[in-house]
Amino acid sequence: MTTLRFAAGVFDIEAIKRAAYRFSDRVAIEIEPTADFIICRLQPLSAKTQLAGLENAFRIEVLDQDLRARIAKETEPVRNLVLSLAFSKTGLQG
Amino acid sequence: MSRFKPLADYQSPLGNGYQLLPFRFTALDGDRYVLSNMTGEYHVASRPTVEQLTKHQLPPSSDQYRSLKSKHFLLDDDSNVAIDLLALKVRTKLERLSNFTGLHLFVVTLRCEHSCPYCQVSRQNDDKSDFDMTPEVADKALDLVFRSPSPNIKIEFQGGEPMLNFPMIQHIVEGALARNAVAKRNLGFVIATNLAVVTDEILAYCEKHFIHISTSLDGPADLHNRNRPRPGGDSHQRAVLGIKRVRDVLGRDQVSAVMTTTAASLERVRDIIDEYIALDFHGIFLRPLSPYGFAVKTKWFAAYDRSSWLKFYFDGLDYIIELNKRGVRFTEFLASTILSKMLTPFQPGFVDLMSPAVIGLGALVYNYDGSVYASDESRMLAEMGDQTFRLGTVDDAYEELLLSDKLLDPLEQSFAASAPMCSTCAFEPYCGADPVYHHAMQRDFVGHKPTSDFCHRNMAIFRGLISRMEADPEIRQIFLTWANR
Amino acid sequence: MLTRRGTGLTIVKGSNATAPRILRLSGDADRPMPLRKREGYISRRGEMPAGFAWYLLIGQSGEPDGPAVAAESAAIFLPEEFAHLGDGDVVRIAEGRGGISVLFQKAARHNSFLLTERCNNYCLMCSQPPRNVDDSWIYDDIMAAIPLVDTGTPEIGFTGGEPTLLGERLGKLVHQCKSYLPRTGLHVLTNGRAFVDANFARGFADIGHRDLMFGIPVYSDLSEVHDYVVQADGAFDETIRGILNLKRFGVMVEIRVVVHKQTYDRLPDLARFIARNLTFVDQVVFMGLEMTGFTKANLEDLWIDPVAYQPQLVEAVSYLERSRVKVSVYNHQLCITDKRLWPYAKRSISDWKNEYMPECEGCAVRQECAGFFSSARLRYSAHIRPMQAVPERA
Repeated sequence: MTTLRFAAGVFDIEAIKRAAYRFSDRVAIEIEPTADFIICRLQPLSAKTQLAGLENAFRIEVLDQDLRARIAKETEPVRNLVLSLAFSKTGLQG
Repeated sequence: MSRFKPLADYQSPLGNGYQLLPFRFTALDGDRYVLSNMTGEYHVASRPTVEQLTKHQLPPSSDQYRSLKSKHFLLDDDSNVAIDLLALKVRTKLERLSNFTGLHLFVVTLRCEHSCPYCQVSRQNDDKSDFDMTPEVADKALDLVFRSPSPNIKIEFQGGEPMLNFPMIQHIVEGALARNAVAKRNLGFVIATNLAVVTDEILAYCEKHFIHISTSLDGPADLHNRNRPRPGGDSHQRAVLGIKRVRDVLGRDQVSAVMTTTAASLERVRDIIDEYIALDFHGIFLRPLSPYGFAVKTKWFAAYDRSSWLKFYFDGLDYIIELNKRGVRFTEFLASTILSKMLTPFQPGFVDLMSPAVIGLGALVYNYDGSVYASDESRMLAEMGDQTFRLGTVDDAYEELLLSDKLLDPLEQSFAASAPMCSTCAFEPYCGADPVYHHAMQRDFVGHKPTSDFCHRNMAIFRGLISRMEADPEIRQIFLTWANR
Repeated sequence: MLTRRGTGLTIVKGSNATAPRILRLSGDADRPMPLRKREGYISRRGEMPAGFAWYLLIGQSGEPDGPAVAAESAAIFLPEEFAHLGDGDVVRIAEGRGGISVLFQKAARHNSFLLTERCNNYCLMCSQPPRNVDDSWIYDDIMAAIPLVDTGTPEIGFTGGEPTLLGERLGKLVHQCKSYLPRTGLHVLTNGRAFVDANFARGFADIGHRDLMFGIPVYSDLSEVHDYVVQADGAFDETIRGILNLKRFGVMVEIRVVVHKQTYDRLPDLARFIARNLTFVDQVVFMGLEMTGFTKANLEDLWIDPVAYQPQLVEAVSYLERSRVKVSVYNHQLCITDKRLWPYAKRSISDWKNEYMPECEGCAVRQECAGFFSSARLRYSAHIRPMQAVPERA
């Protein structure tokens, strides 16, 4: 088992949960938020799992999920605009 | 002479920055990511570039910036027609949805003289006509067919071996033509058959009504016969003869072949492809084994795991690419379907890879006994005892069938765009939802994607195709041709 | 290069001459009398068969003691350079300045009508530099000329300047073509910006012309590069929107790309952009640079030897071809064009513009080659050479 700590102000717990979901085929993850940190305990599901590489991959995945959330939030208005245009009746020619 | 202004005058002032357009990103390999936009256009970049892009720090003079602007990942001051173009492309990709239920499968009998261990239909022995479709069921099913709004209707005959109940095929063809004289759709017929029992009379009828033939060809004789036993052990020979007869009478392009992968196939991909080439086919669909019907009962499905199928697939794909480079025109159809989504503004109608899932929307299955299923896989699941995707019977109204919760729940829940992991996956535009598969494997319409074979396999294929295009411009060209078939 | 205009020419008019401004020509001394009243006779030896509205006296002196002109007729004296005029040609004779313009030549491969010299773009390589003048009189001349054009003509063009600046008059001209040249294709060159107005675009679909196509330049997949090449801010967006509107209403659109130093390096990106975003256009053409008009002023920014951009051109053409978009290459000499592009290369320079260079001497594929614009003498590829044998064309 290995324990990772993410600074609470910097990382969003949603990003961590999504990262955990993605890794749930290889590790069981326990998430514990405290005042200063979000603590993640990673327990490999199989004896064969290499923890060392996984730790790094998990950290990157958390960063990626964070970035994804940021992009989604920032682009939501223009996404809605495109969709509303796409479905409007002012006939864009296919 | 008037002054001409320099390029700099037309560029967005540096200080004005740029706006992000919606996109997703997923790792391609250790160093690179795939970014994809709302319409499936993709771009490969390093992680630092993705970060720079997202933080609005990408320099406008860089090649990355220009490429991302051109492909509609970002927008700056001097142009916003990207919005109109994105909307048009989104609409083009989704257009297919509005013309739903174009494919109608009629299971005219469960009788079959083959005993393929992997059979996804729990077939019955030759002589029990209890397992034949009746004219009453057929007529009601035909009424349902023409209730669908699709301008293009394809009726496919399945079984068992449908030619063992040829009179029913005739009854349905005639019934369809009569109804179509009024409905005036674009109507087509296909018979999915092993060709072992084809006769001149049947061929003449197919010629008269432009019926297309789809047959099984698992590879060279030894492999094919091992996979597909029948009394006499001559399935391959009959298939080859049958293919020739169909071509002679109906035309060279009127027969297509489908292969099924078994444990025995896994080492033989080149032999299988060579067999297809020898028999003048211009492409092959390298299909995974699906977890339904006899396949599960006889443990054939468990017999191979995900990585051995992937090796089989990529060995085959690379061999086919090599052939293309040598000037042989031969396509791998799973790749070409995905490549259509990646490289063109169009949406191929391949039912296995669509989100929203096309169960019910893309196809309906009318079983010999009058029950109606959302897809072929749904029927197979029912044969195993799971009625989850049985929508009703031919006595039900079309609206009842299509609006029932049995259809809407899995459709809604499995919709990839909202599913966890799928909703943020860069490959989602190329993938499908397949609630039937996930229900069968994981008892959940959405599926737990991290442990889903469907997900792992598909992602490996998407990555494999993109990596090959990035590595070799010639492959990019070959794939572009395939995508636009 | 054929002479198509002249001014300061001597004109002699009979006392009762109608002297129509726009007329069809005939070289037939036995032309039926009713037709002669509104036609011009091409006179090569000074002969003047009676009854024509005009006599075009080629190579004759304009001396007062020359042959007398009938009361109902007029005569114009043309130098030998106009000997190429023939039956069925349509000309404008502007009495005031002793001017003649050839509007239509039956024997020519291509015929275009210039509708205006005004334009709202200012392309770096414009072959017809814009002039801000009131040339609305051109409209009336073309309306009169169209019914005189030979109905067997396969295709004519409208060009400028920017034809859409005529507003609804452009629609009237198109309609005139529909009415009087029902079997003739009409190709209109335009920057497409005016079609941002959907109603304006729809109007052209509503005319119901059998074979109408708009040729619209798009020079880059990047808005700033396109705007720079056409020297107009916001042009890219308007042009693309214009194309979308035209296609929405089912009007045929061709995308034209002039290949030069500012456009060649992103040619493959442009091909991809078109295949992805404008896949429904009817065709794409890649064109060579004309050494005339503004090109001369901007030569250093525009000139690149065509041999140098063959890789990009091949890649772009291949991309479009594989994406099933119809594509052609115009105005490129065969010897400097990659062989893979030969199937797409068309013999496309109008007769009145095309020539061959000294280096072409002895070339076996001259007949199939576009040759050069006359203006090319200013600058052309360093790699022009005669081809030895007729090559394999795919």
